Amino acid sequence: MQLWFHNENTYPFVPQKILDEADSVRGSLPSRLCDPKIAADLFHECMDESLLCDDLGINIVSIEHHAGINSLYGASPIVLGALARQTRNVRILSQGTLITIRKDPVRVAEEYATADVMLRGRLDIGFVKSGDSEMASGNANPIGNLERFWEAIDLITKALRNQDGPFRWEGKHFAHRHINLWPRPYQQPHPPMWAATGDLDTSRELGRRGMVNSVVLRGIDGTKRAWAAYREARAEAGLPEPALDRFAYCGFVYVGDTDEEGVSVGSKLLWFLNTSLKQASQYSKFLPGRMPAEMAPQVYRTKPRPGEARAARPADGLIGMTAEQAIQRQIMFAGNPETVAKQIMAAYETLGGFGHLIFIGRSGFLTHEEAEKSIRLLAKEVLPRLREATGG
Amino acid sequence: MISTERLIVHGIDLEVLRGGDGDPIVLLHGMCSLTAASRFPSLLAAHGAVVAPSCPGFGASPRPKDFDTIQDLVHLQRAILDAVPGERITLVGLSFGGWLAAEVAAQRHNRLSRLVLVDAVGIKISDRETADILDVFNRSPAEVHRAAWHDPDRFAPDFDAMEDAEIMRHARDWEALCLYAWHPYMYNPQLPRWLSRIEVPTLVVWGDSDGIVSPDYGRAFARLIPGSRFETIAGCGHHPEIERPEELAALIGSFVGG
Repeated sequence: MQLWFHNENTYPFVPQKILDEADSVRGSLPSRLCDPKIAADLFHECMDESLLCDDLGINIVSIEHHAGINSLYGASPIVLGALARQTRNVRILSQGTLITIRKDPVRVAEEYATADVMLRGRLDIGFVKSGDSEMASGNANPIGNLERFWEAIDLITKALRNQDGPFRWEGKHFAHRHINLWPRPYQQPHPPMWAATGDLDTSRELGRRGMVNSVVLRGIDGTKRAWAAYREARAEAGLPEPALDRFAYCGFVYVGDTDEEGVSVGSKLLWFLNTSLKQASQYSKFLPGRMPAEMAPQVYRTKPRPGEARAARPADGLIGMTAEQAIQRQIMFAGNPETVAKQIMAAYETLGGFGHLIFIGRSGFLTHEEAEKSIRLLAKEVLPRLREATGG
Repeated sequence: MISTERLIVHGIDLEVLRGGDGDPIVLLHGMCSLTAASRFPSLLAAHGAVVAPSCPGFGASPRPKDFDTIQDLVHLQRAILDAVPGERITLVGLSFGGWLAAEVAAQRHNRLSRLVLVDAVGIKISDRETADILDVFNRSPAEVHRAAWHDPDRFAPDFDAMEDAEIMRHARDWEALCLYAWHPYMYNPQLPRWLSRIEVPTLVVWGDSDGIVSPDYGRAFARLIPGSRFETIAGCGHHPEIERPEELAALIGSFVGG
């Protein structure tokens, strides 16, 4: 099993009163609330955490989100470039540049090819659909998002593979008269490709393409459904069964010396769910196309009718969770090393195995020192147990 | 009085409201589609043969694959005019439909005889840092609600009271509007240049408390159309067809009869 450190570089230092009064902590909070000196410290701490992972054999995820306290990593290729130069050993997964809000996938391919060359082939590319407030901050039409997603992936893939001089692309969403990347990627024909989704149709397409399906914070049931769809689509297409390295599970992880420490410090990670997900309704429930029109009665009514369920995106159901609930739902693994290894293996067994565990190891008010302590324990005490239990 | 029918134009299957006799009045809906239960189409039908299609994606009109631009809609409206019998067509466009109507009239149509724009969108007049049209996808629903209605408590849709099918229809309308009008938001940068090509008598009507597009925007719109007449309706927001349907129908009726 491969471990991947995931840190969104959150900015929790906005007074709670302001966050409580704001209708949204993403997209629209004024940037005067972000102190660039604190941000600088955070970027360097996060980079140091990644370098610690590099020393300890834990791979690194480089993420992107925009315009909110949930992440300062808006300019994701710049962070990826810094990691490319500063790390020496582990793989870096960019998961990833939000391709549905970037106007020019060719430029994204160019950035990835360059990063892969600097990394001497240690790059994995993960695609993310984006949505919600990022449709506003990214100036991207929420309708047609999925179509753009796949066309961008096709174009990026072709641009990375192409070695035969300029080619032309005249698609529905992207047109480019002359595509010819220099340098081409280090890995041939291109770096491994992933996508983060729990959406069943998207998982099916990932299955047909043989891409890695990472599922972020969907818990056991949501993950199970996505991977079943992945496997089913491959079987329907007559393709061989996927290896476990096609599946990545993602949850919060905190390892302490004791169970008490693991849970009490680890519970700070839930700031991500309980504070940083809040979005104004125009970016979320009322965003056109976010839910199928058939669900609209549940979305639009202020009071459900008798017997009517409430429509919600998976993320909507995560707000307001306690550490115990998060552990029980297996989106958080927290405790001493032995406990965490057991919790992870329980999820592993329930899901029929997975090749990658992406762990959110820092968020909210969890400090740099606390994050590094958990990373060390994870690498030294938990990872060997996982490798022994899974045979690799 | 008003019936819901189907109309196939250029192979595109459309829901269409019909009612009334006489010269044709083609009515293009605004941000949301009209239904047979809407009061305004039946009032308008006193003044002519009303044909009110729901644009693809809106109402019960399916959207063909890859039909997704304003240009598709403008071609379609021209095809609808071709399909409507009668020599003297009045084209009435509400809000978003006003944009389409202005585009069609600027391109001219040989049987188009009158144009009515009601709280229309479609052009940009202010500087690059000033939006003329309230962004209904980027502002809070409460703000959009206040801006859209003179008397929101009385006229704004009450989703708690609406049936499932009506709410789903509203959601489909909203998705379709977003698809077509997201960028540039609700306007065609080239359209002001061509509005002076409009050669038919034109009436521009505005709710005097419209907060989605202000009456001043309406006046600027009217100034770009040679010989057009500008009228406001008092005590009325972005939806005269809902807040003041009698007055709007009467204004259009006298314009058509005049």
